[in-house]
Amino acid sequence: MTDQGIKSRPIYAALHRDSSGRRHLYISAGSGPPPEALGPDGLESWAVAPTSCEGTLRRPDRAGERRFRSTRQLMETLERRLASERMGLRLYAEGPEDFLWDVYGIAQAQGLGRQEVFLKQSGSLARRVQCVHCKTFNEGVTTTIVRCAGCGANLFVRDHFSRRLSAFQGVKVDAEQPGDVPQAERAYP
Amino acid sequence: MGIQFRQDERFRESFSYFNSDAGVLRFPFPFGEDRYMYSVNIEPHTRGGPTPAFAHAFDIDEHYIAECQERALVLADDPGRCQVLPHMMPAQWDTLELLMESLSADYPEHFSLTKDGDSWRWINRPLGIDQSFVFGRPETLPCEPFEYITRQAQGDFTLQDQRDDNLFVDGGMVTTQADWSLDFDIGMSFHEWHGPVPLAHDIGVFDRALRFLLRLQYGHPVRRLNWTMTINPRLDTSPENYPDWGPDRTTVTPENVAEKVHLRVELQTLFRLPRSNAILFGIRCYLLSLKDIERVEKWRKRLHRVLTTLPPELAEYKGLTRYRDTILAHLAPHDDGAELSLGIQPDQTVLPPA
Repeated sequence: MTDQGIKSRPIYAALHRDSSGRRHLYISAGSGPPPEALGPDGLESWAVAPTSCEGTLRRPDRAGERRFRSTRQLMETLERRLASERMGLRLYAEGPEDFLWDVYGIAQAQGLGRQEVFLKQSGSLARRVQCVHCKTFNEGVTTTIVRCAGCGANLFVRDHFSRRLSAFQGVKVDAEQPGDVPQAERAYP
Repeated sequence: MGIQFRQDERFRESFSYFNSDAGVLRFPFPFGEDRYMYSVNIEPHTRGGPTPAFAHAFDIDEHYIAECQERALVLADDPGRCQVLPHMMPAQWDTLELLMESLSADYPEHFSLTKDGDSWRWINRPLGIDQSFVFGRPETLPCEPFEYITRQAQGDFTLQDQRDDNLFVDGGMVTTQADWSLDFDIGMSFHEWHGPVPLAHDIGVFDRALRFLLRLQYGHPVRRLNWTMTINPRLDTSPENYPDWGPDRTTVTPENVAEKVHLRVELQTLFRLPRSNAILFGIRCYLLSLKDIERVEKWRKRLHRVLTTLPPELAEYKGLTRYRDTILAHLAPHDDGAELSLGIQPDQTVLPPA
């Protein structure tokens, strides 16, 4: 079930410092330290504090480090930051797939090229699933079948992934035989 | 003389759809051999071919008016079926020019285009349109140029931008599709939007097709046929509306199989566009009922053989699983196993009564 043979899934490699860049920004959905391969020199590092912090941010451990209360706050700051960036920035992102492609989308909209953004999946495999019928986004889906929060259809989570929407496609599983809904399996922990 | 356009056809709910004998014989039957498998079956889109459907750059037939009306209904419900990313405006004008020039040259009794510099006048007689506008100025048309002209054409269209040695589906008018979503796929690269297609990736079909298409030259369009099956003459088999049409697949019985099951063929054409260097991909959809297919001896026998040997992955992907056996049981008594000519041409010019 986890490999449906669909070839639109991105493949991710470990993060390495791209020496052609002049400034380096590492963005993480978690709160661990940046990978050593990004090097310490002049690396800026942004991370989202765990919800256990309840909105209280501790002081950064080192220069260039910055913490955010939520993913949303980080994304909004990133958008403003990239709007005023010049050539030479390299952006590295690490986190769940929807986080990565949200970052990528912001970077593209602000004019960064494909070769200037590096992504590495880590953490939860939970998926953002867009209902193809009503277009609602269902966040944090861990099962093969999920009930759409928008229209109520039981959606099969197809392995078809849109980088633009940072989302997988959900299709009504019992469209042909209404009520014939297989048991959902936990597949994306 | 011109084409006698059918009035009052309906491709939804209380279906009403009918092919004349000439309409049956011009059908681009997709099977040139007794077995089917994916291949890079691309050939030059030259004028003329095994049936009259190949005679023009963009084929217009007796269903033209009804299909344009159906498209308008789909768009009224779901405007997202037509989307073009902002950087594709030059490709929008390329498309408008190509379609207007082709249709007016190929069907002068139905369409005409006159130009005075950038001031153009377009007349579409079947749809009762007389539009003057300035080429390159979107505000002089009732909507953006790609939507404007593809509302007046049969079949779906997508726009592929070429960059980074790849093609990206950066726009489209998609209202008569075989179960794929433009709204979801827009912006994807060639391999991404073909991601769900089974088997073909592993035999290198998409690698070879992409390499071929990246070299597509202006003035040398190409074409291929693709196919699936649809229950009832329904054009809008979109994933968006799958909850509405999916149950149709459980309604096929031995008694109604010949009327209900339609072979759905896409005559796919690819044109390099001159200003944008984008590719216009035409996906012209034809529906023919099993009952009409049976009137052509060669097609009846060949369809039986193709469906008998179709790999199960393909049957599943094309959604045939629930009713394939019913079709086979219906066709089997009428296939004597005689050798059939290669190619898709019907090999007869007259049909037995329906």
